[in-house]
Amino acid sequence: MTSLKAVSVAFDMVTPYGWGTDSCWEGLLSGTSAIRRIDRFSTCLMQTDNAATVPYLKPSSDESLVMQMLTPLLKKIAPEIPSDTFVILATTTGEIEFLQRSVINMEHEAIKSRPDHLLNKIMLLAGTCDSGMVVSAACVSSSAAVSRAASMIRNKERDSILVVACDSVSEFVTAGFSSLMALDRHMAKPFDKNRRGLSLGEAAGFMLLMSEERAVREKRDMLGEIAGWGLTNDANHITGPSKDGSGLSNAVLNAMKSAGISENEIGCISAHGTGTLYNDSMEMKAIKKVFGNNPVPVYSVKGGTGHTMGAAGLLEIIIGFETLNKKTVPPTVNLSDTDREAEGWVSSGQQSFESPVTLSTNSGFGGVNSALVLKKSEKIL
Amino acid sequence: MIAVTGIGWLTRKGYGCLISKVNETHEGFETLYSYFKHKSYFSCPVKNFSRFDTISKMTCFSAALALKDASISYSVKHKQDIGIFGANEAGCLESNMNYFQDYIESGRILARGNLFIYTLPSIPMAEASIHFGLSGPLLHLFFNEKRIPSLLSFAGKSITEGEIPSILAVSAEENNALCFVLQTEDAVSAGKSLSLESVIVAADKSNFSEIITALTGLA
Repeated sequence: MTSLKAVSVAFDMVTPYGWGTDSCWEGLLSGTSAIRRIDRFSTCLMQTDNAATVPYLKPSSDESLVMQMLTPLLKKIAPEIPSDTFVILATTTGEIEFLQRSVINMEHEAIKSRPDHLLNKIMLLAGTCDSGMVVSAACVSSSAAVSRAASMIRNKERDSILVVACDSVSEFVTAGFSSLMALDRHMAKPFDKNRRGLSLGEAAGFMLLMSEERAVREKRDMLGEIAGWGLTNDANHITGPSKDGSGLSNAVLNAMKSAGISENEIGCISAHGTGTLYNDSMEMKAIKKVFGNNPVPVYSVKGGTGHTMGAAGLLEIIIGFETLNKKTVPPTVNLSDTDREAEGWVSSGQQSFESPVTLSTNSGFGGVNSALVLKKSEKIL
Repeated sequence: MIAVTGIGWLTRKGYGCLISKVNETHEGFETLYSYFKHKSYFSCPVKNFSRFDTISKMTCFSAALALKDASISYSVKHKQDIGIFGANEAGCLESNMNYFQDYIESGRILARGNLFIYTLPSIPMAEASIHFGLSGPLLHLFFNEKRIPSLLSFAGKSITEGEIPSILAVSAEENNALCFVLQTEDAVSAGKSLSLESVIVAADKSNFSEIITALTGLA
């Protein structure tokens, strides 16, 4: 049985830089951060006052923050989504405000915070009549979801899959990360010598994936290919990454094997790059295990967008496709004094590159790792 | 072809290994950890077990039974290329409530990191992967229909595609848990196994005891 290519035929997102992929891309290229003061709950006892929130988004009793982000995106694309499309939702906390309100006001609506309820709302908005599922794997959730979608297309199980990813900045999550002392008081500085922790962020987005065969048949634009993937687990520590980076390097090796490429073909790497001491150090070790002493441009978007949790993987895959189409590696925002381990690999300036292949990696609590090989589409209709 | 080489189950009153036909009663979850250590279901102490949330404990108990049923030995130090996929009805809703209630009751002064950790539905699988040394893919999944059959089918496809040779598929709730070991037929040793297709059909029932009865009939 011949396998099929999984291609992206549509994507869009809202990030702390604003609505649309272009605003995020331009924001990153400008080198300015979208991390700002949190104004939706009191932060006086939190580790930081800052997070990368989406402008003008306000908590409301009518609609959750993630639905405020997803509704305009999905309404716009719904006419283009075939009704037989399978939906995969990736999120860590979804509509967590329902649970927050339930606890604070002693109401009985906590169950509405379950992600399967959100999945049903998304399927309704997208106009799909087929079944769906939710993938949750901490900060790897949406890259894992895209890898599952590509896998289902490659083995001919499905030929049209909508991956939707979202997470919002909430008191629930900010208090939790504060308790773990994982946040930078000011702004995340990935791969910087003086990095102190991550900045939380929020985002929502979607990617419609199809088999290349169906995309050609329906005369769809092909925006990029999910060419290979690897998922591993450190099996080491519940919050800390494996210090030697072996789990992530194995994920990268598996992804390259799945794509049938070698490390020499990869033009640049979108790292998870949270800005925590241990994550960034582990990532550089993992990257060097695979790429040896031949530096490939590495960047992190999280100094700009913050760590958008369950949405991070999808946001970074979309930016990965932008890097391929624009042949430009974005700068690592907030990097001013590069850590010794990252010297020669990570830059605060934008760079150009020619390769049609890039790599996107993510890691998360529980030791989960993902790596995806992204390729520029050969055919653009 | 995919084979199911081990099935472990657990309720408030009993536990079992379906393929090796173990069926025992127990005196409650509070004493079960010591009993499992004594019976060597856990080959070494489970680090921080007393701090785990209920779903993590249920996941670890059922995974220990399933691995024993499949005659797969493990060591924390020697990792194995085995994945773990989980699907349950409520995800981590109970742990979310516990964490946020505790934070609100403390006057919103300080959240407890140890409760926050369990607000991710994938953490029970992560706790199991650390103890059993499982270095393959780890995912939590919600299916909007036929939860256990969908989980088994999804795990089976990941093996068929060559992504991983073995997967633990776990469905752990507050009161019961079920764990399956799925392997490629090549990986199956001389022990008895069941076809994945027959297990999926048997697991397509509306309640836990009906599933156990149907699976017992297969084994």
